[in-house]
Amino acid sequence: MGLLRGAAGFSRYFVNGIPQGDYLEDFSQNIERYSFKGFDEFSEEIRTTGWVSIMNIFDTVFGQRQFYMYPYLALSFRVDTRSVPSNALRQHCLEAEHKIKVVEHLEYLPKEKRREIKELTQSQLLKRAIPRTNAYDMVWNIEASILTFASTNNKVCDEFAEIFFKTFGLRLSPVFPYSLAGFNLSKEGLDAAMLDTIRPMNIDGE
Amino acid sequence: MDVLEKIEKTETIGAEFLLWLWFKSETQDGTIDIDGNQQIEIRIDGTITLENNETGGKVSCSGNNVMMKEARLALMENKRITMMTIRLILNGEDEFSFKLDSGWMNFRALKTPKVLQDFKEDPEGMFYEKIGLIEKAVAVMDSIFMKYIKLRISPEWKNDELPVLISWIGKGKNV
Repeated sequence: MGLLRGAAGFSRYFVNGIPQGDYLEDFSQNIERYSFKGFDEFSEEIRTTGWVSIMNIFDTVFGQRQFYMYPYLALSFRVDTRSVPSNALRQHCLEAEHKIKVVEHLEYLPKEKRREIKELTQSQLLKRAIPRTNAYDMVWNIEASILTFASTNNKVCDEFAEIFFKTFGLRLSPVFPYSLAGFNLSKEGLDAAMLDTIRPMNIDGE
Repeated sequence: MDVLEKIEKTETIGAEFLLWLWFKSETQDGTIDIDGNQQIEIRIDGTITLENNETGGKVSCSGNNVMMKEARLALMENKRITMMTIRLILNGEDEFSFKLDSGWMNFRALKTPKVLQDFKEDPEGMFYEKIGLIEKAVAVMDSIFMKYIKLRISPEWKNDELPVLISWIGKGKNV
């Protein structure tokens, strides 16, 4: 998930378009806007995301444009998730049901009541749950319009492409063999349509 | 070309590139020439994963012996390489290792040469050094990939390269 430390796993994107004007000022404001805020005290969300500094995941202040190191724009996409273990939820529900049955002298609780208890318990436990934190580095070479993102997970990559568009107003196109070959052939003035003549190889002879 | 065709084409290009890379690493003593004066060595010495598109059968072979018999036999059964572990050595000294997949050409577990800058003392210097190393590995692999693509769309592919490649695959049963 990191590009700077340890072994790196990453996918690559073409950035469609070039930033115009005093784009660093706009970027700075938008990065601040979509920076990582964490879970709200009263929130029942199980997932929250946003930008943090690539140097320090606890740093979400971008006033000094620390995200820009010519020709790169570098940030981390932080994803925090939290959940309630099913065993803990079951135990706490049973405990809550037991207390109500004792207080109200009941032998059984109606299904609807048990559902309410489950929802309330889940909500209470969720707020106490310790979030799991992941941070995925991204390095955008602005001059080359190429971006490296430290994840190969489809869900994370989709979320990343969405927040990237919201923040920078530019779409990302994933790099894959066909697009990479077409891009480079065109750059060299060669006909990318030649790729369409490639047929799968047959080891008995093409 | 519609999206489905493009995806199919992509899988073909990626899988056959990895196959060609393995073939080159064995038949050219691991050295590959690209534009420029860089001396490039490629070693395939980790895990190779192959899959059969039609039956879904999958086989993973690992070991230091690049002649891995099981993987060579799987090629003869029309299985395609979906992931390969590659060691890339530049100018005899800078060594990178990583897994490359055929579908997206994503790099996984990329290990670069040791970074000299200290993160605590000079984080920005360390950033430039590490990203420079990653970009170097990516640029070399892209150049090798383009060498393959240009060969693949040229008449030399069918006339010269393909017969030797097919012969190499056929020798798999004798490994």
